[in-house]
Amino acid sequence: MSESIVLNVNGVPYPVAIDQSRNLLSVIRTEIGLTGTKEGCDDCECGACMVLLDGRPVNSCSYLAVQAQGRTITTIEGVLEGDTMHPLQRNLLDEGGVQCGYCTPGMVMSATALLAANPSPSEEEIRIGLSGNLCRCTGYTKIVQAVQRTAAELAEPAAPAEG
Amino acid sequence: MFAMRDSWRTMSTATAPDSAPPRFVRADGPDKVTGTGRYTADLTLTGMLAAKFRYAGIAHARIARLDTTAARAIPGVFAVLTQADVPDVRYGGMVFDRTLFANEVVRFEGEVVAAVAAIDAATAQRAVDAIVVEYEPLPVVNDPEAALAPDTPLVHPQWQSYGASRQLVRDGNDASYASIAKGDVDAGLAAADVVVTSRYHADGSHAAPIEPRSVVAQWEGDKVTIWSSTQVPYDARAGVCDTLELPSNRVRIIVPHLGGGFGGKCGFHFEAHVAALARAARRPVRLQFTRREEFLAPDRRRESIAFEFETGVQRDGTITARRARLVIDNGAYTADAGFFSQLAAMHALGPYRIPNALAEAHLVYTNHQPSGSVRAPTAPQCCWALESHTDEVARAVGIDPLEFRRRNAVDSGVEGPSGQTYGEIGLQQCLDAAAELAGYGQPLPDDEAIGVAIGWWPSFASPSGAYVRLDADGSGQIVTGAQECGTGAVMTLRQLAADELGMQADDFQLVYQDTAAAPYDMGATGSQTLFNNGRAVVAAAGQVAEQLKRLAAERLEADPADIVLAGGVAHVAGTPDKRVDIAKLAAIAGGGELLIGHGSGAPPDAPELHGSTCVGDVSMAAWVAPQFSCHAARVKVDRDTGVARVLHVSAAHDSGTIINPIAAEGQVQGAVVMGIGQALSEGTRYDEQAHQLNPGLLEYKLQTAADAPPIAIHFVQIATPDAGPRGAKGLAEAPNVATAAAIANAIANVIGTPVRQLPMTAERVWEASLGGAAAAPTAPRTAGASA
Amino acid sequence: MSFTIALTVEEALTALARGARPIAGGSDLVVGARHGKAPLPDHLVAIDRIDSLRTVTVDDGGLAIGAGVSHDTIERHPQIAANWSALADGSALVGSPATRHVGTIGGNICNASPAMDTGAALVVLAATVELASVGGTRLVPIGELWTGPGRTAVRADELCTAVHLPSPPAASGSAYLRLEYRRAMEIAVVGAGAAVTLAPGGTVAAVRVALSAVAPTIVEVDGLPTGDLAAVGEAAAALASEQARPISDVRASDRYRRHAVGVIARRAVLAAARRAGGESIAVPVNRALGIGAAS
Repeated sequence: MSESIVLNVNGVPYPVAIDQSRNLLSVIRTEIGLTGTKEGCDDCECGACMVLLDGRPVNSCSYLAVQAQGRTITTIEGVLEGDTMHPLQRNLLDEGGVQCGYCTPGMVMSATALLAANPSPSEEEIRIGLSGNLCRCTGYTKIVQAVQRTAAELAEPAAPAEG
Repeated sequence: MFAMRDSWRTMSTATAPDSAPPRFVRADGPDKVTGTGRYTADLTLTGMLAAKFRYAGIAHARIARLDTTAARAIPGVFAVLTQADVPDVRYGGMVFDRTLFANEVVRFEGEVVAAVAAIDAATAQRAVDAIVVEYEPLPVVNDPEAALAPDTPLVHPQWQSYGASRQLVRDGNDASYASIAKGDVDAGLAAADVVVTSRYHADGSHAAPIEPRSVVAQWEGDKVTIWSSTQVPYDARAGVCDTLELPSNRVRIIVPHLGGGFGGKCGFHFEAHVAALARAARRPVRLQFTRREEFLAPDRRRESIAFEFETGVQRDGTITARRARLVIDNGAYTADAGFFSQLAAMHALGPYRIPNALAEAHLVYTNHQPSGSVRAPTAPQCCWALESHTDEVARAVGIDPLEFRRRNAVDSGVEGPSGQTYGEIGLQQCLDAAAELAGYGQPLPDDEAIGVAIGWWPSFASPSGAYVRLDADGSGQIVTGAQECGTGAVMTLRQLAADELGMQADDFQLVYQDTAAAPYDMGATGSQTLFNNGRAVVAAAGQVAEQLKRLAAERLEADPADIVLAGGVAHVAGTPDKRVDIAKLAAIAGGGELLIGHGSGAPPDAPELHGSTCVGDVSMAAWVAPQFSCHAARVKVDRDTGVARVLHVSAAHDSGTIINPIAAEGQVQGAVVMGIGQALSEGTRYDEQAHQLNPGLLEYKLQTAADAPPIAIHFVQIATPDAGPRGAKGLAEAPNVATAAAIANAIANVIGTPVRQLPMTAERVWEASLGGAAAAPTAPRTAGASA
Repeated sequence: MSFTIALTVEEALTALARGARPIAGGSDLVVGARHGKAPLPDHLVAIDRIDSLRTVTVDDGGLAIGAGVSHDTIERHPQIAANWSALADGSALVGSPATRHVGTIGGNICNASPAMDTGAALVVLAATVELASVGGTRLVPIGELWTGPGRTAVRADELCTAVHLPSPPAASGSAYLRLEYRRAMEIAVVGAGAAVTLAPGGTVAAVRVALSAVAPTIVEVDGLPTGDLAAVGEAAAALASEQARPISDVRASDRYRRHAVGVIARRAVLAAARRAGGESIAVPVNRALGIGAAS
């Protein structure tokens, strides 16, 4: 039984007809055709499928697509500002926080959500904030450094905000 | 005191650049960080079907009935295949003991019995469930040590009829026996002041890349293109060609971006199943693994090993002899594990001066998932066991473990345990550096300690090829058979080509991971990409350099031998003003003889061994350009619960020249954290019927960002004979060798006794601290925390 | 099959009365269905947009947490952290940041996992669960809610709408700790919540301890003494180990769980007592004190 719903992904409304049992990840990857969001485990254990729902990180593999209607969904494809990378993306490259890249989109989503909620996180807060995103390649060091550098850069132009 | 003179910041060797190498952004990075990069699972072809497998679900049984009638009748099912539908071919790495589908008998729970291609995954799953399979259970061989006993049922009763490499010594369940013998062990032990005997057991574990594997196959006429998440596209091609009886020029393997491998995606896996389905269905087919399948089905998991050690030592700390016996779990099929016995025997002897040595290793069939190359196969387990044993030996004669290693570890010009005399090596420097970075000897809280371990790993010489060309606009293209699995090794090839041609890495793009486009390379395995394909790229770029020099010489009226390529310009040596832009030369060549180079270069020969005897010799006792390491781990142990937390790891490595510092650091950091997982939380558990109990990421626990400690890194860079380009050796596997061992010694230093089973879970640490089940069956006389 | 989005409790209850099952974040339902634990219900009513279920109210009567309040909200709520600290400790340990955003207190307690991280805290803090149906509302003491692993006293037409916790006594504090093999993405190997009220002079006037992952449901430890803190801690350890009914599974043996739950129970009592004494230990205790430090 299909439900006809509209999903708002990266600012674009997508009408889709889907079974209510479909998870958000599969709908984003197939019906909507955005493959930057990855599937790594299908049970909330790896974070490769992380998207933002109303700005907050959600494992899209374990979230029903029908529940996302009326909400704002942001995927890795929505992080670019035009052709310009988010500072975090640039810093992940400069610091070497990307190896195989499979965890990277989910990591970017978690990290941007973290920085939005907490613009000057401690290293411990960064590590806890990224703890739902498994990375097998990097040992996390360079990813954490990229987030720290991004926080510092984003803090620089404006007056220091309260933590 | 350890000096920073060896660091890359100030190092100098004959071939290395004077200054620090550039820290460049990897070429595939923007694809990956923006989500535009395509992995195999991201590909969709028109008309594509979904594949699903029917697995045995039972570890050992005869197939009494296999009926696919009902499955075939389901609307939307396009193909259902069993072994009856594919050529009757047995394949394997060094023993041809496996067929694509189970053939009369299933030998592990994840064995593929049948495959379905259907209009969508749900339909395919329904069809899989509709396949009728009836089994007559056979005795489950669950314990490798017991499997060697004469009365144990054979996993492969027809083992003698299988084709196999002639070097392998096989006997029943023993799929590969190897020994390395030197001197007279009994005499050496008799001459010792103290003999320490230890037993250890390492559980199996998994590569667990974050990308589950995916395969897409599409036929056009009699040619098939297969997109696969493999680390070794040429091996995968060979597997398809062997099992489907196709010539290699009709099988094209393309690897889109690869989401990590760590050895788990080495070898030939399911490419032929999917190709056969696509041929039968006359449609493209995609196989997409779940995480559970990723744990259960591939023939690449890290092998469990049981160890017995006996080391004789004099009061002054001199090792007189070592005997080691290893039983390695091969699993149900040999995959690529045939060489593990000898490799493990080398690791069980370790990088030590041992005049009298005997290491014996058996690779034993069981009804477990097959073992295969996972990041430095056999080495982390062997290093963990041997280095735990080494600390026991050091304590038995009252010598500090670090000092004990300084006295006994191999060094330049010293003969190792297999009779190889090493050229310039940096192991002693690694010991000094790791200890310094760790603050070895500093006072620590009562529940913390530092453990030290040393490790080694060979460089694998292999044929490898590449093309390099400069197009008319001066932009470069490297076409290589090398495979990028995330390490950055392929990305680093751009730097080698650029250096050869006096250009910038960014001037080059890469075409890679396509067996139809590029010459052979062994793939992302054995840490060999830079070592072998780097040599090929340098040779190919060298040909273009010669072409450029000839062109420049004509225009500058000079001898080609006097032309220097640097900074994007060709100039006459000593006369920088006599110059022409390389881009201009490329434009000229674009209207005439094109700038195309091809390269391979001869791999270095294996070194000679003296005074040793190797049975089951598969060339794993003589190591070209060996890599050395020392890790020191500071660990805190909660004595009440056994929970251990790694607070800091120091990693010192002799991997030769570091060409790409970002990638090199990343390899060490990633491997150390993987090693922490292996040490503490990653281990496969089997029930009595040989079913994996934890085939998922909740119960098979990788370390998270919140667990990973700070890691201090030092690279010892010296001119190793027979190293790869610029003096580089490998680095992808070496940092995975010694971490678990260093953690083990730290834990033992806190609780006063080693933990004899890997992973050293909290429960096992707690039991060991009680002197309970996990403690020593044959504990040494001396124990206790070091100062 | 049907899927409706309820905007009020009344809409949700009407749907439940017609046979729908409630879904909040959905993690347990979706993952459970994928793993064959239980099929996804045919008729679902989404309750995650009902504003009245997403409020936290603190007044003289105590704390009322709407069933739809996320673990993330609980973890960061300053008054919960200060006065009902054990609950904040537990919520802060659930899964990952994403799980804590999506997962709700109502979903957690109705999922009834014996390893849940909020359960022991709710027991020692004397929580009452509000269950509503079209027929009315009833209050169930938390200890009577769970009837087995994955089973509760909630009727099919009932919705958990809120959790009520009384104001804690003066000079009291609470804490929840768990034994974990890694610092995140973890399920309790064993866990213990404790609430301690101190008498003048620092002795224990009242204490409650509850345990997770050592029995088919969260269980409260019986027969705890009062008086000297160290003695109470030791008694909690001994009684917890004695009263635990753990199983052996892939995470731990029963023998180890029985031992470890005693250690964790003692630490929970000591951490709760430190908070009762006015010391500020950040949420969650597991991360604030680290391993071994609370013994």
